[in-house]
Amino acid sequence: MITPAPIDEFALDVRDLRKEFKGTVAVDGVTMTVPRGEVFGLVGPDGAGKSTLIRMMATVLAPTSGDALVFGRSVRTEAAKVKPRIGYMSQAFSLYRDLTVKENLEFFAELRGVPRKEMASRSAKLLEFSGLTEFAKRQAQFLSGGMKQKLALAATLISEPDLLFLDEPTTGVDPVSRREFWRIISGLHRQGITVFVATPYMDEAERCDEIAFMTQGRIILRDTPAGMKRRVPGRVIEVDVSDYRAAMPIVRALPFSTSVEVSGEHLRVLVSGECENCEAEIRSALEGAGLAVSRIRPAATDLEMAFAALIPTATLPGRDDAEVLAVAE
Amino acid sequence: MRRIYAIARKEFIHIVRDPRTMIAVLIMPLLQLFLFSYAVSFDVKDLPTALLDQDHTAISRQYVDALKQSNYFVVNQNLASASEIDGIFDANKARVVVVIGPGFGDAVAAGRAGAVQILIDGSEPNSAQLGQAYANGLSQIWGAKTAISRAEASGFNTAQAGGLSARTRIWYNPEGKSASYLVPGLIVLLIAVMTVQQTANTLVSEKEQGTFEQLVVSPIKRIELMIGKVMPWAVMAALNVITVSAIGLLVFQIPFRGSVVLFAVSSFLFVLCVLGLGLVISARASSTEVANQLAMMISFLPAFMLSGFVFPLANIPPVLQGISYLFPSRYMTVISRTVFLKGGGWDVLWPQVAALAVYAVVIITLSSLLYRERS
Repeated sequence: MITPAPIDEFALDVRDLRKEFKGTVAVDGVTMTVPRGEVFGLVGPDGAGKSTLIRMMATVLAPTSGDALVFGRSVRTEAAKVKPRIGYMSQAFSLYRDLTVKENLEFFAELRGVPRKEMASRSAKLLEFSGLTEFAKRQAQFLSGGMKQKLALAATLISEPDLLFLDEPTTGVDPVSRREFWRIISGLHRQGITVFVATPYMDEAERCDEIAFMTQGRIILRDTPAGMKRRVPGRVIEVDVSDYRAAMPIVRALPFSTSVEVSGEHLRVLVSGECENCEAEIRSALEGAGLAVSRIRPAATDLEMAFAALIPTATLPGRDDAEVLAVAE
Repeated sequence: MRRIYAIARKEFIHIVRDPRTMIAVLIMPLLQLFLFSYAVSFDVKDLPTALLDQDHTAISRQYVDALKQSNYFVVNQNLASASEIDGIFDANKARVVVVIGPGFGDAVAAGRAGAVQILIDGSEPNSAQLGQAYANGLSQIWGAKTAISRAEASGFNTAQAGGLSARTRIWYNPEGKSASYLVPGLIVLLIAVMTVQQTANTLVSEKEQGTFEQLVVSPIKRIELMIGKVMPWAVMAALNVITVSAIGLLVFQIPFRGSVVLFAVSSFLFVLCVLGLGLVISARASSTEVANQLAMMISFLPAFMLSGFVFPLANIPPVLQGISYLFPSRYMTVISRTVFLKGGGWDVLWPQVAALAVYAVVIITLSSLLYRERS
C-alpha cells in the first residue's frame, strides 16, 4: 500500500513557478523544495529574480504560471491559509515611519490577529531580543538603519510565523548590526522556524543550511555551503604580496590559475587540481616581476570563490541553459 | 472588526502626527471659506464710469446726475472725444463709458427719444452683465420720468394712463448677498476637495512606502482595509461640514431654513461618494503625485465648474451638463442651497438624495473592484 507523503512535509514546494512582467521574464520556471526547519539561502546577482520569487511565495505577487505550496497550501488558491503562517520582510523598510516602535508592533499584532492577552508579552519579548526596548516610544523614522531592520523583523515575528521570508534583510546595515541580526535568525532556527533568506553577502550565505544560486530567473545550483565548496575543482592558494594590482594580471596569466581575487589583505588564487608546486611557480612569477611576496600558503575555498569557479558562464548572455547546468553539476 | 479598528487607529495617528495633513484638513477649509466669501463677491457696486458728454445741455446734465446718484456708477472722469474710450478701457480706468451724443437735449425737448450709448467692458462678464442691467434700468426710469413730467406739463393725467407696473422681489436671498449664495456651495466644494485629495493618497502612499506589501501578507480582507482607511476621513469630513456650516451661520449670517436631519443625511451620503472617488484614484494611481493631480481634476474642477456653485448649470453647454451628472457635487450643491436658503424638505430634494445614495453604492463598489483587480 502506498501511503502518501504528509502534505506539509516541506515548508516550501515550488513547482515551475514563472513570472513575466510585460514580456520580460523575471522568474523562469523555478522548481524546488525547502524542508521544514531549514535556513535556506538564495544568492545571485542583482536582477536575477530573487525578490520576485520571494514575493510570489509570500503571496504578495500573483505568479504568471506554476505554483508554490507553503506547508502544502497553494499561494494561488489558498493564499488566505498561507498568510497566517508566514512572515515577509521586504528589501525596503516597510513599516510606518510616523508610528513608534511599539505602535508598529501593536498594529501588526492586531492586523494578524495575535491574541490580546499575548500581545504585551510577545512585544516585550521581541523588543527585548531585538534590543529596542529603550526605543519603544521612538518613531520608526528616527531609528538607525540597523534598528529599523530589527524592528521590521520583530514586526514580522509578532504573529509567530512558521516560515519567514527575508529579502536582503541586512543590505545597508552596519557589520555589527548584521552580526546581531544573524544571531537572531540562529535563535529562530533553533525554535524550528523555517527561514528563506535572499542575501548578497557570501558570509551570510555561509551560515545557511542550504544555498541556491539564482541567475536570469532560474536556480542553477543548489547545495550546502560545504558541498558547494567541494564541487570546486582544484584548491586555493593565498598570497600576500606588496602590490595586488600589479600582481593580479601576472597570476591570472599563469596556465594553472582558474580564478584570482583580492580578499581583504590577501590575493586568493584558485588553481587547477593537477598543479603540484604552483606555490613556487606563483612566487617566482611575482618576484620575477619585481614584487615582494611576504607569504604564500594553501587556504580553504570560500563561497565567493566557489561561485566564481562554478558559474563562470551563468551570467554570460546567449549561453545555452543546458550547458550552464552541465557546468554546475 | 478588530482589524478595521487597528487600521482606523493607525490612520488617525498618521493624520495627527503630520502637521501638513492637519493644516490641510482643519485650517485650509476655513481659510478658503474666508477667502472665497470675502474676495469672491459677485456684488457689483461703484463701477468706475467715464462720461463723454457731447451734448452739454441742461437735460444731459440731469441724466448724468441720475447716474451719479445711484450706488452703481462712480463717474470719475470726463472724456473729450470718442477716441479716448479705448485707452480708458485698456488702462482699466473705467468699466463703463456713457456717451451722450450731440442733440440729445434737443431730441428730448422736442419730445423724441434721446439716444445715449452705454459701452461696457465685457472682459469681466459678471460685472458687465450687472452693469448693463443697471444702466438700462436707470435709463428707462429716467426716460419714463421725463416722459411723465412732459405729459403732465401738457395737461395729460398720467394716473389714468393705465399700463403695467412690474414689482420684482427677490426671494431667499433678498439682499443678493454673495455669502448666502456662496457658502452653501462652498461647503460642498471644500468637502469634495479635502476628502478626495486625502483618500486618493492613502493607498498610494502605502504602496510608495512599501507598507502595502505588509498589509497584503496579512490576513485582512480588502473590505476591512477599505472601511478602516475611510473611517477617519469620514469623521474629518463630518467635522469640516460642521465647522464650515457654523462659520457660515455665525460669521456670514447666512440663514439655515431647512431640516438638519436632511442636511446631515445627505452630507453623509455625499462624503461617502467623495471617499469612493478618492479610493478609485488610489486604487489606480501609480504615485502620490499622479494621485494628487487626479484628485484635483476629479474633485476641484467638477465641484467648482460643474456643480452650479459658480455657474448656473442651466447655462452651461449640454455636453458639460451631461458630464456634471457624473460627479456628486451637483446633487449636493442643490441640496445644500435648498436646505440653507429655501428650507426645502424631503419632498423636493428626494431625487438628489436618492442620486447620492446610488452614487455612493456604485462608486464604493467600483473602488473595491478596481483595487482587487490590481493585486
